[in-house]
Amino acid sequence: MMRRWCAVIGLMGACFGAPLGAQHLLVPMDDAQANHLKAYGLTFGALTEGVRSEWLLNYRGGSFLIPDLPGFRRSALLAGVSFEALDASRVGQLRRDIADGNMDAVPLDKAPRIAVYTPPNTMPWDDAVTLALTYAGIPYTSIWDEDVMSTDLSQFDWIHLHHEDFTGQQHKLYLGFRDAPWFQQARERDGQMARRHGLPDIPALKKTVADRLRAFVDRGGFLFAMCGATETMELAVAALNVDIAGGATDGTPMDPDAESKMAWERTFALQNARLEFGGGVNSMSDIDGHQVNVPSRRQPLGTFTLFGFSAKFDPVATMLVQNHRAVLRDFYGVTTSFTRRTLKPGVTVLAHEEGAPWVKYIHGSYGQGSFTFLGGHDPEDPQHAIGAPPTDLALHPNSPGYRLILNNVLFPAARKRPLKT
Amino acid sequence: MMRCWNAWTTAAALCVHSVLGAQSRPAMISPTAPLIARAIDHENAGRYEQARSAWLEVVQAGAAAQGVLGLERVYAMTGDEVRVLPLLDSLLPLTPADAQLRGVQLRTLVAIGRDLQADSAFRAWRGLRPQDVAPYRDYARILLYNSRAAAADSILLEASDALGATRELLLEAAQMRAALGRWKDAAEAWRETLRDQAYYETAAVFSLAPAPPGQRDAIRTAMLAHQATIGAQHTLALLELGWGAPLAGWQVLKDLPPSDTVVHVWGVYADEAERVQAWSAARDALVAVHRVKGSPAVAERGANAAMRSNDPETALLLARAARTPGEAPRYEMVGVELEALARLGRAAEAERVLAAVAPAIGTRARGFARTIAWAWIRAGDVARARAALADATLDADDAVGGWLALYDGDLVTARRALRFGDVAAPEAVQALALLTRTRAQQSPAIGAAFLALARADSSAAVEQLLRASDELSDAAPLLLAMAARIETTRGADARALPLWTRVAEAFTTAPEAAEARLEWGRLLKRRGALRDARGQFETLILRYPSSALVPQARRELDALPPTRVETE
Repeated sequence: MMRRWCAVIGLMGACFGAPLGAQHLLVPMDDAQANHLKAYGLTFGALTEGVRSEWLLNYRGGSFLIPDLPGFRRSALLAGVSFEALDASRVGQLRRDIADGNMDAVPLDKAPRIAVYTPPNTMPWDDAVTLALTYAGIPYTSIWDEDVMSTDLSQFDWIHLHHEDFTGQQHKLYLGFRDAPWFQQARERDGQMARRHGLPDIPALKKTVADRLRAFVDRGGFLFAMCGATETMELAVAALNVDIAGGATDGTPMDPDAESKMAWERTFALQNARLEFGGGVNSMSDIDGHQVNVPSRRQPLGTFTLFGFSAKFDPVATMLVQNHRAVLRDFYGVTTSFTRRTLKPGVTVLAHEEGAPWVKYIHGSYGQGSFTFLGGHDPEDPQHAIGAPPTDLALHPNSPGYRLILNNVLFPAARKRPLKT
Repeated sequence: MMRCWNAWTTAAALCVHSVLGAQSRPAMISPTAPLIARAIDHENAGRYEQARSAWLEVVQAGAAAQGVLGLERVYAMTGDEVRVLPLLDSLLPLTPADAQLRGVQLRTLVAIGRDLQADSAFRAWRGLRPQDVAPYRDYARILLYNSRAAAADSILLEASDALGATRELLLEAAQMRAALGRWKDAAEAWRETLRDQAYYETAAVFSLAPAPPGQRDAIRTAMLAHQATIGAQHTLALLELGWGAPLAGWQVLKDLPPSDTVVHVWGVYADEAERVQAWSAARDALVAVHRVKGSPAVAERGANAAMRSNDPETALLLARAARTPGEAPRYEMVGVELEALARLGRAAEAERVLAAVAPAIGTRARGFARTIAWAWIRAGDVARARAALADATLDADDAVGGWLALYDGDLVTARRALRFGDVAAPEAVQALALLTRTRAQQSPAIGAAFLALARADSSAAVEQLLRASDELSDAAPLLLAMAARIETTRGADARALPLWTRVAEAFTTAPEAAEARLEWGRLLKRRGALRDARGQFETLILRYPSSALVPQARRELDALPPTRVETE
């Protein structure tokens, strides 16, 4: 109740003039927040304008503290983001509270430069990250194969991958859509791109793209992948020199000894997966625990639980799980989850389904960079189908699932501090 | 899923066949029947491994088709479709032209993406039956079910070359063309299919309904060409209904020469129009049916549809036609008739009708006093309206009395009495909102404004509301907003704009100010002044943050095009 009062008072303050001596705006991220998703956009906007902010880890759902400047109040009101004006004494109290508990204030210095790997034409499915960024008002650059192959990716801090199949098999959609114009156009486009770069076929192109993205992380970039991009990125990186594409894709069968030739030491998070050799089975490997497109293997959706971390000792993992909900409804994707058996040692599990042999959300370091994988396609559309309309995020402004995506967008803005663990 | 369904359908047909055989020859129960029953039990229980073994036993017992169909379903569930192929390789040499086995073979090969092998299998089957349409038809259907319309197109072309012009593949051609987005060709094929298979109307509607608006004219032309049958015209009419053009649909049907079939088609169209609440189209169809095959029931439905389509003249005719000579009029139809007369302002006639039917409907006649009063109000005679209520047992605070007081400009009585009526009705909400805003006790202008609204004279209502806004300063923003709403509803943006602007700028603290900003912004948006529209929405949010309209303003802001965030 007290928090609600604070929100109301804050709002009134915004309407009728700031309380005397207000110096900061607290953007609460607990249930007092009216629009969690746009709150990330507000904070990102402050960073874009060169204004330092702070991410208050584990404080009221992972709140933000930004300087009280008129422009931010205006932006917050227009976007429907709740805030509270704090004077110096309340900020001091807040800092004491944070110092006393499993909380921390992480400075956010600079807006990360974001790229989203997305095809130039519209595909008949949406992309949760693009939806979230657009709704939150966070700017990004679209990149595609040509950009990955020909430009310097170090111009970006953060690259997002969503639905792409980096094994070059288009998620085996040829089983149901090989006559669909969008499928044929995508195949033609990718084939032309492969020829332009002197590569023999689409799998070769996509595996090369995957390897360049791997190198981007190795050199210090942040990679966030969802849905089928997670699993196929790992398979593509491990199979750079192995034929794991079926005959329907490249005209030749899979290498029967492919499993023994996979270079798992090159992958980010997963290893020792058993490949799917059946050309008619819509699955890539046993990495995904849910296997949504294979009726006899499909596992039902449950809920997944976010782990808690020590904010002071594990700030990165803590940032990635900031939320106003700890238990979230699961959602399907081409790859929905990651079987525990295939996880590499050292990978941090951020969320799992209690008692299930799979996890949902993982993070880890790779070379000088880091990666995060989130299974599933659209947190607010648990069974998103090809051709279904995109999710209208105005109807889900408090989506805890979409918050996980936006945590990843913002965390590269955090000032690097020496790891304590 | 479609494959499973096909297999189930076939299996069900085979089972039915077995059962019928058993009935006619009770002593000759098929030896495979218990095996089949056991296999189905395993399958239904999700015991796929046992089901697989059981179906194999069925095959070994000689019922190859049933067994293979069962195995096809089981393997589809376990993702092992490919395992049915070796079995088929051993069975097909025994009965190489068996359509069931060939169907399973083709379905499996297509589903697992072995396109070349599927093509070979099709050609092998076709080679055995060169003049049979079945291989072409089955293979084309399988390809269509697997969203492979282009491949199905090739097969149908081959069929055309091999068999000549055949009508047996028209259905597949129609589905294939629709799947490929060749809407005009699809419509032509459907038209020809319907020529001798009218029962495919629903399939044709389902197939053609997704056509984009730009392609629909071609469909309209094709469906009506070459002396289209009633089935084709009916299909087009139902398509129009689905495309949101119910009256255009009726136009297709209305000039058909009446016959039993045509009357049936009109009736079906009326049913569908009622279902989607396309009342004008339903009214027209029911009028046509009534003209040819009149009945009280049809007239009653038509009268109700006419009332709902705001056509009191037709409602009156049909309500009277719904009476059965020599029988007492139905109470509901008396209500429709009186309501129609009231809306037409034919108050005296309404009173005569009520007097005539009163002996038949007894004390329930009193329930129509308000309708008669409204009829007089429509006719502009408030005194007669009051007189009409004289015999009704109304309380002093009856809402109708309240309305009459309001029309007289007696705001004190209206304020007290209207609270006892349907306070949630839109007109009551509007009146009560006004009466709570002003302390005035009398206002002829307000009375005249509401009376004009009751007579559906919006121009006079706006004029009187503006007059009242000059007289009643405490309710001026509300009166201006009411006038602006009327103008906005009428699409008169040019007259609405100065009203909304005045409310927004001259009455910034009034409850209507936020609404005025929102409507001002929307009006600017309709005119293409997006930047200015954005300004109005932002002003609303920033100046009236606690207004219930803020979410709508944010929605409008989000929908404005310039919010491009991609930095490319």
